[in-house]
Amino acid sequence: MEIFQIDILPISSAVLLIATFGVIVRRGFMDWLSAYRYQAIALSGITAIIAFVTGAWELYIAAALTILIKAIIIPIVLLRVTGGLSFVSRYELNPYISVRLSTIISALLVALSYFLTQQIPFKSDQILRAYLPVSISLLLIGLFVMVNRRVALNQVVGLLILENGLFLFATTLTRGVSIIIEIGIFIDILVGVIISASLMSRISHTFDNLNVDNLEQLKDE
Amino acid sequence: MIASILAIILSISVISNGEPLRASLLGNIPTLFDLPIYVDGVSAFFIFILGLISFAVSLYSIGYSKHYAVKNGTSVLGFLFNFFILSILLVVTSNSVFSFLLFWETMALTSFLLVIYEHEHESNLKSGMTYIVMTHFGTAFILASFLILYIQTGSFSFDVFRQAASSTPMLIKDIVFILAFIGFGTKAGIVPFHIWLPQAHPSAPSNASALMSAVMIKTAIYGLVRFIFDYGGLGPSMDFAWWGLLLLSVGAVSSVVGVLYAVVEKDIKRALAFSSIENIGIILIGLGLSVIFAAFNLPSLSILALVASMYHTLNHAVFKSLLFMCAGSIDYTIHTKNMESMGGLIRKMPWTALLFLIGALSISGLPPLNGFISEWLTMQALLSTPYIMNTNLQILIAFTSLAFALTAGVGAATFVKIFGVSFLSKSRSELALNAVEVPRTMLAGKGVIAFTAVILGILPFIGINLITSAFNLKSFSPNNYFGYISLSNTSGGNFASLNPLIVLLLLVSVAACFYVFVRIVGKATSERAFTTWDCGFGGLNARMEYSATSLSQPLRKVFKFFYKPRNKITREVYAESNPYLRRKVKIDSTTRNLFEELLYEPVISACIFLFDKIRMIQTGKVNAYLLYIMITLVLLLIFVRLTP
Amino acid sequence: MNVDIITVILGFAQSLILIALSPLITGIMRKVKARTQKRIGASVFQPYYDIVKLMRKDDVVSDQASWLFRFAPWVNFAAIATSALLIPVFIIYSPFELVGDLLLIIGLFGLARFFTILGGLDTASAFGGLGSSREMMLSALIEPALFLTIFTLSLNFGATNITTLINSASNLHVLITPSVLFALISMFVIVIAEAGRLPFDNPATHLELTMVHEAMILEYSGKRLALIEWSQSIKNLILLTLMINIFAPWGIAKSVSIETVGIGFAVFLVKASVTAMLIAFIETRVAKWRLFRIPDLITIAIASSMIGIVFFYI
Repeated sequence: MEIFQIDILPISSAVLLIATFGVIVRRGFMDWLSAYRYQAIALSGITAIIAFVTGAWELYIAAALTILIKAIIIPIVLLRVTGGLSFVSRYELNPYISVRLSTIISALLVALSYFLTQQIPFKSDQILRAYLPVSISLLLIGLFVMVNRRVALNQVVGLLILENGLFLFATTLTRGVSIIIEIGIFIDILVGVIISASLMSRISHTFDNLNVDNLEQLKDE
Repeated sequence: MIASILAIILSISVISNGEPLRASLLGNIPTLFDLPIYVDGVSAFFIFILGLISFAVSLYSIGYSKHYAVKNGTSVLGFLFNFFILSILLVVTSNSVFSFLLFWETMALTSFLLVIYEHEHESNLKSGMTYIVMTHFGTAFILASFLILYIQTGSFSFDVFRQAASSTPMLIKDIVFILAFIGFGTKAGIVPFHIWLPQAHPSAPSNASALMSAVMIKTAIYGLVRFIFDYGGLGPSMDFAWWGLLLLSVGAVSSVVGVLYAVVEKDIKRALAFSSIENIGIILIGLGLSVIFAAFNLPSLSILALVASMYHTLNHAVFKSLLFMCAGSIDYTIHTKNMESMGGLIRKMPWTALLFLIGALSISGLPPLNGFISEWLTMQALLSTPYIMNTNLQILIAFTSLAFALTAGVGAATFVKIFGVSFLSKSRSELALNAVEVPRTMLAGKGVIAFTAVILGILPFIGINLITSAFNLKSFSPNNYFGYISLSNTSGGNFASLNPLIVLLLLVSVAACFYVFVRIVGKATSERAFTTWDCGFGGLNARMEYSATSLSQPLRKVFKFFYKPRNKITREVYAESNPYLRRKVKIDSTTRNLFEELLYEPVISACIFLFDKIRMIQTGKVNAYLLYIMITLVLLLIFVRLTP
Repeated sequence: MNVDIITVILGFAQSLILIALSPLITGIMRKVKARTQKRIGASVFQPYYDIVKLMRKDDVVSDQASWLFRFAPWVNFAAIATSALLIPVFIIYSPFELVGDLLLIIGLFGLARFFTILGGLDTASAFGGLGSSREMMLSALIEPALFLTIFTLSLNFGATNITTLINSASNLHVLITPSVLFALISMFVIVIAEAGRLPFDNPATHLELTMVHEAMILEYSGKRLALIEWSQSIKNLILLTLMINIFAPWGIAKSVSIETVGIGFAVFLVKASVTAMLIAFIETRVAKWRLFRIPDLITIAIASSMIGIVFFYI
């Protein structure tokens, strides 16, 4: 039998990207929420790997926090708060760019992020090489998703992906030095999600849909 | 008709002429009244294409002209036709700017006259107008590029251009390339200068359309090849890379746009014209790759891409002329080009159907016919990008290959649709019921071409050797006609290889073996004829079949963002009081012509606006004109006085 | 590997075994579907009985059909069976290895599909047109996905020649790289699409709402239908074999001897059955997707291979 090896680092970044794509191709709120859990698990897995490679024990805590907050608490909160919403405000019926075109555009964004990070000399730094392009692509994809969705609730997913990308970016570059800041960010996100979700359920009860287009009526004309 | 026979003699002599000229490469035929002629391998290759196609088309025309004999008289048609061929011949052999432009103009004029030959139809005149305007637009650009070369080298002769290639500065070469690209590209029908093609090619009589689509477009490719390789002096330097990139991207865009419009067309000849745009795109992709490879100093890959591109040129000439000739035969017998009126022709015109099938299979790039070979070669060229050192460029080319594959897929769908709707199933209208098979000469013409298509597919080396010796490239594979095409990667292993003859033999033998097997296992069974399954309600008529529009409807929906179709629904009711009891519902679905609307209309209205303003100069008074002359004279004198 | 007469015979034999084995794989898929749906289902050998039964029945041909209708199933079968001859199944050798090229196989499948679509149009029935138009759309969209996947594969393994591909795949020491992983995802989606399985097309349906392939072959009967069914099974197995041998080629025989060939064959059987069961299982979990949602799935395949190409350079 030959000896097989697996390069853990590139494979884990690939898995993260796969999980991300699993989130963005879904139009329904319930669908992407369940896919988001997997992305959170993948992210914490990567954090643990970085912790293992660099030996920074704080990152294990960060990994555990990631699973706790992102994979468990946030989904539960969102589900609770948005329990009463109608179907229309949960399902993306008419995005600006159709789902298939946005998939291709997301792939192009991944290519773009690779292009952007090419200038940086990696030398033999494996962690950077494996995770930097992925984090930037998560950033861009998150932004793009936020731009593309009309239903406000679905824009939250863009925000969450964006935040994941930022988290990965920070972790890759700083290797766990600023753990306090990370914890702060976690709490921020948690609170932000709770507030936006409850606001949205209020809006939806009042206006019966969550279409962001309606905000246009606020224009001063 | 006699003229057509003379054309045949001319083309036969040209074909046989092609051979020795290639052997001696730089054959300088002495000048004839100050219009120098120069035939080297490149020209000879294009002459070969011309000769082959015009031979077949002339054969076809003998029968086809009868169509016009009752109406307009064939002598004009014959004259124009032969003159057209002659001018194309002289275009590819000219050696000086003057003669080139002279014959280029002649070519444009004769084809213009051919386009408006059936001048009873208003639409033909309009398309002729569009054609002549666009072609002159292109010629202006070509003229500009020649002028710059003249300024640079001080001479009008192509020989001098060739020698000066290495000494002209890069900036000049870039400008010349852009101008030549736009100019020749307009003639070739690249996007966005393509709108004349789908109007002009269908309007001309079919033998002329065949020639125009097959050969005239290729003269533009000839021009581009000349400009890039001869006068541009292509060499291993990075400066040329963006030329190739431009060619590649424009080619990719053209091919996708062309094929997407082709698949929703109802008119056979318009669909074929759009398909020509698509194939020109493919040729440009190959050409662009060749330039990029050359710029990165990868000569063998550059040869591969060039061979792919030129092979596709040859192939496209072959199968497009075949398809146009078949479409012309359909037009000849049932006097319509609208596919929605056809159907069931396979029983009435069996030979034409078979020949069209061969053409459709080739253009879809299916083995074992010639289209597959050139598409395979182009794909291999696309797959060879790992050797380019610039990874960004590699990724870009990889995404371009996405466009290429899409073209191939939708192209096959287009021709399935065209063949299926026209020839198969029941006739959709009275016209189609009256179809008869066309006269034998027309069949013979088409048969020659179909035979060539098959041969080129099975024995690709005939084509490859033709190209490699014509272009004076080192062959990179064995000369044996029955050998394999093979490419090896860096570790010496076999990257890819192909032998279509074996594929054909395999296909036939597999079919034979299993036929025997099935007979044995299945014993003998008989066949019964019965009506098609109609879910039991009976009365299946022609209106229930799928029409051309319906076949392409899924594709139209998928690419909605491109077509932006508009549906107009009109309803007639029996009584106003009950709007739900409908008597008739009519739906009009049109796809928008994006380019016409977004690009041409604004430009044209701007031009017309400008022209209106300029028209004010033409006051009709003699004094005003004298005033203009005086002003010009004074200005000139001052100008002369001022320059040292 | 050094080629002697035994190797050549084995090479032919493996292709014939592939052709003969394909209905069994179809049978396995149907059995798995049945079991997961709490039915007992037909025996795994039922497709064989079906094919033989069909071959012995009389044909009923529509009075609108022409020679094309009669001829199309033969072209279909010949094209697909020829592709079967070009693939190394359980030994890394095919007697036609110099001809076996992935792009050629795509071309041959395209040829088969072309004629099947035309056959569907020939009978002047609305069903045929229905199936043909849907099939046209699906195949037009699958082509770019397929080509990009091949691009990724040729980047990773350095060939489009099948034998060389499998050879270099089996020589790799790395289990899997991200680029190959994305290519695998893309290839898996494409295999399901080309094989006409859920969620693309339901091979067991008779409702025109859900038909794609079935609609085109609705008018066929007797020997021709047997050929078409058989060629569909062969196509499935070819695609499965390609996927197995390129992405998981361990155990394939590299030299010819009783043990290696035996192991190779057994391993192949196991792998093929497992993959078939996986596909069948997925079939029971999803429903047929609405026709115009399928391009979404195909774009996932395209995006996946695009990212695979990018990852190759990281």
